[in-house]
Amino acid sequence: MASSNPSVFLLMINGQIEGANFPEYDDLYCKYCFVYGHDWAPTSGLEEGISQITSKSRESHNLIWNFPLDLTFKSTNPFGWPQIVVSVYGPDTFGNDVVRGYGAIHIPFTPGKHTRTIPMFVPESTSRLQKFTSWLMGRRPEFTDPKVVAQGEGREVTRVRSQGFVTLQFNIVTKDMKKLGYDTSPGSSEATPVTGLSGMDQPYTL
Amino acid sequence: MAELHIIGQIIGASGFPQSSLFCKWGVHTGGAWRLLSGLREGQTQVDFPQTGEMAHWSHPIDLHYTTKGLQGWPKLHIQVWHQDSFGRCELYGYGYCHIPSSPGHHRLQCATWRPLGSWQEQLAQMFVGGGPQLRSPDLIYSGADRYRLHTVAMGVVEVELGIILRHFDRYGIES
Repeated sequence: MASSNPSVFLLMINGQIEGANFPEYDDLYCKYCFVYGHDWAPTSGLEEGISQITSKSRESHNLIWNFPLDLTFKSTNPFGWPQIVVSVYGPDTFGNDVVRGYGAIHIPFTPGKHTRTIPMFVPESTSRLQKFTSWLMGRRPEFTDPKVVAQGEGREVTRVRSQGFVTLQFNIVTKDMKKLGYDTSPGSSEATPVTGLSGMDQPYTL
Repeated sequence: MAELHIIGQIIGASGFPQSSLFCKWGVHTGGAWRLLSGLREGQTQVDFPQTGEMAHWSHPIDLHYTTKGLQGWPKLHIQVWHQDSFGRCELYGYGYCHIPSSPGHHRLQCATWRPLGSWQEQLAQMFVGGGPQLRSPDLIYSGADRYRLHTVAMGVVEVELGIILRHFDRYGIES
């Protein structure tokens, strides 16, 4: 395994979808998937998953899934760094499954333990007529592909309503990033960290 | 050449008079910088929060730059807009922040401001909305012509950015 001249680096993600906080809803389950760039490939683990249905207890208003994430990626280029997309579903008053929130976040890239709380939002109807028909039919607007929440393009036309949070935990291990020349944490370069570059007045050509 | 990766999210905004907000953003760099891949500007969704007054956008940013010089280190400039229930948009704030120069994970809070008009304009704004806007948006991130402006404080935009540097140490850059 120990090669002195690596061409790829590895990103190992161990973690869990810990739970959620949705003040207005109960009996929810979640799905997750990953969105990543062309240079990235998963080498082991499950890229998609679907959790159990969880309810609020009498003691606490938190929804707990404790749902495991174990995944390893390899890549040559940090561009297109993986994002996890989480979507939460639950029954409405008639028992139909409707979406209660979409959310996404980049996987942390500094090794170690990280906790992230991500906002969850649902798309809204843009016109009053659509709003009325969706109320009448009991069908809420959804994204046909949840992966759009991890994309930066084409969002200006969407109107959303954020209504909850999901908490994720990550334990990150990276391999060979430093060997490929990538600096991901302030202490990783040998030089002492200097914040701000304002002291460099004269042109400094690399 | 040295490489810089900017990976993160525009999380959301708080402290604005109303919370149905969206954000136009862009990254401005000096001439020595070249964008290899990623989107350099964009616009977020409009969020209408149900809980709390913070609008959440979760707008992803993933940029890959190469550079021949340090001058013109990237800056993120943002404009926060409010959209009312009729779909009318109103400017709520301008702001910018420097992309951090040290690698690792950073959480930034970008304070924003908006131009203040004359008292007649302020009175009109109270009743019909609207308000003065910058004719040239480069004033957001340049300090050259600011002295002619009169501004008022608006809310705060939260940004989470991860910075990866490559080969900067090869040229003796200490970051």
